[in-house]
Amino acid sequence: MAQAGSGRSVAAGGDDAPRSRWWRRQPGAAGRIATIYAAVGVAWIAFSDRLVGVLSADPVVQDRLQTIKGWGFVLVTALLLFGLIRRSERGVRALGAEVRATVDSMADGVLLVDHRQCIVEANRAALALLGASSKEELLGPAEDWGRRFQLRSADGTPLRPDQYAVSRVIAGEPVAQLEGILRRADGRDVHVSVAASLVVRPGRPPLAVAVLRDVSGARRLDDMREEFLSTAAHELKTPLAVIKAYAQLLGRREPAERPALAVIERQVDRLTRLVQHLLDSSRLRLDAGAGHPEPFDLAALAREVAEHMRPSSPAHQLAVEAAGPVVVVADRARIGRVITSLVENAVRFSPGGGPVLLRVAAADGEARCSVADEGVGIPVERQAHVFQRYYRAHAGTPQDYGGLGLGLEMSREVVERQGGRMWFESAPGAGSTFHFGLPMPRESA
Amino acid sequence: VIAAAGPLVLVVEDDPDLLALMDMILADAGYRVRTAPEGRAALARVAEEMPALILLDMRMPGMNGWEFARAFRERHDRAAPIVVVTAAEDARARAEEIAADGWLEKPFDLEDVVAAAERHAGRSARRDPSAAR
Repeated sequence: MAQAGSGRSVAAGGDDAPRSRWWRRQPGAAGRIATIYAAVGVAWIAFSDRLVGVLSADPVVQDRLQTIKGWGFVLVTALLLFGLIRRSERGVRALGAEVRATVDSMADGVLLVDHRQCIVEANRAALALLGASSKEELLGPAEDWGRRFQLRSADGTPLRPDQYAVSRVIAGEPVAQLEGILRRADGRDVHVSVAASLVVRPGRPPLAVAVLRDVSGARRLDDMREEFLSTAAHELKTPLAVIKAYAQLLGRREPAERPALAVIERQVDRLTRLVQHLLDSSRLRLDAGAGHPEPFDLAALAREVAEHMRPSSPAHQLAVEAAGPVVVVADRARIGRVITSLVENAVRFSPGGGPVLLRVAAADGEARCSVADEGVGIPVERQAHVFQRYYRAHAGTPQDYGGLGLGLEMSREVVERQGGRMWFESAPGAGSTFHFGLPMPRESA
Repeated sequence: VIAAAGPLVLVVEDDPDLLALMDMILADAGYRVRTAPEGRAALARVAEEMPALILLDMRMPGMNGWEFARAFRERHDRAAPIVVVTAAEDARARAEEIAADGWLEKPFDLEDVVAAAERHAGRSARRDPSAAR
């Protein structure tokens, strides 16, 4: 229904079909009627004169009969014509009413705009959407309409008439679905999505049709999700902050208890990462942005992550291999969480300990980071699904070491948002290597 | 009472446990600390004495961090740096929203709180003998 507005429709009557030779054309209803009429007419002319001869031999009577016959012919033809025209008129009217009823019963608002950018038609849903009481309020120049209903883009900036979807469509520009804000007649703002498309009419200037849909409900839901995310972050992280801070405070005061308190701290950090994963994963679904891009050294970040993770994985040898700084422009905090997530997986799935190697290097204009382990690897038949949300490749196997099944999906999403890519190799029993590549700024590539 | 000459830090935080702890560690590090559980009380503290640094939680009942930052800037412009201390999923975004001077993500390390104080309020009297003159 609300498809991207680049679609073009052709008005009824336009025949793009290749023209066939006329004698091969299928006769329509009109052709059939004309043929029957011609046959009946010729037969009448041929046989009526004979009939007159049979009825009377008197030339005077014959003359009268001829006159009556003529009048009768005209009368019958006129009646026939009247009947036919009335039938066709009714058909056209019924079709028009059907089209109007269809457009009127549509749940989306429909506005028809002509090539002079005047609104020439509006359906009932458009009236309801805008809170207008009669169609006449909506008809007229699109510019007046936009001013009256304070047409703004989704971020609230007023739109110029040449920025309206319909104006752009009429100007021949392909227009994707747009979102905007309108002020209804009652003063309430509504968020609408607009899909505009061109109606091509053979031999006549084109029209633009705009389909408006009230998306305020979806917007409210987004706002509620935003509020939920914010509350969830606060509610989940505040107690973690208190526990961590007091564990650190106790560690300062009771040096003998430091190892035990360090365990509390590590577990708090782990819980914090899980919370952050959940938040990141919801956040990524909510907005399309790339976060806060800034230039930073990927190698330094990998070293930082390894440093941070080392105490919580004493059985593993976390090493970072990088020839020199590799500068990328991306959201450092998010990329840090991606590396952390990959290292966590490497550690989790090499339960016997062993090396976990982080490599950072530049190759083919791309900054690459890989995390390799020598752990249990991923079963071949499950490898295709590892980037699916909630998918846990080792669920139901003896190697199920836990996890939420969010890390990889989120990591790949984050990397792709920064214009990068993520991939992996894995051999069951021999370990896995996860790679990601980020585009490098041109001057350092 | 210790190092009464240290720079003043105002901590605005609604969680009493966290507030008590930040008070403690900043005082330990030689700062004078004042606290407020929400924005309005914080504005009253500011009116009594301009702090060298404000550590500001964002989500608080009463006057929240956003409202406090707006009211503070209206009255005092940038008389004191503000460092946002938040459990928000994106601490940096919160800091940018109010054009803060820095941000601290919860959960934080105790060292980070002291480091933020040092960076924005200057070294405390106790740590830096030159400031105790």
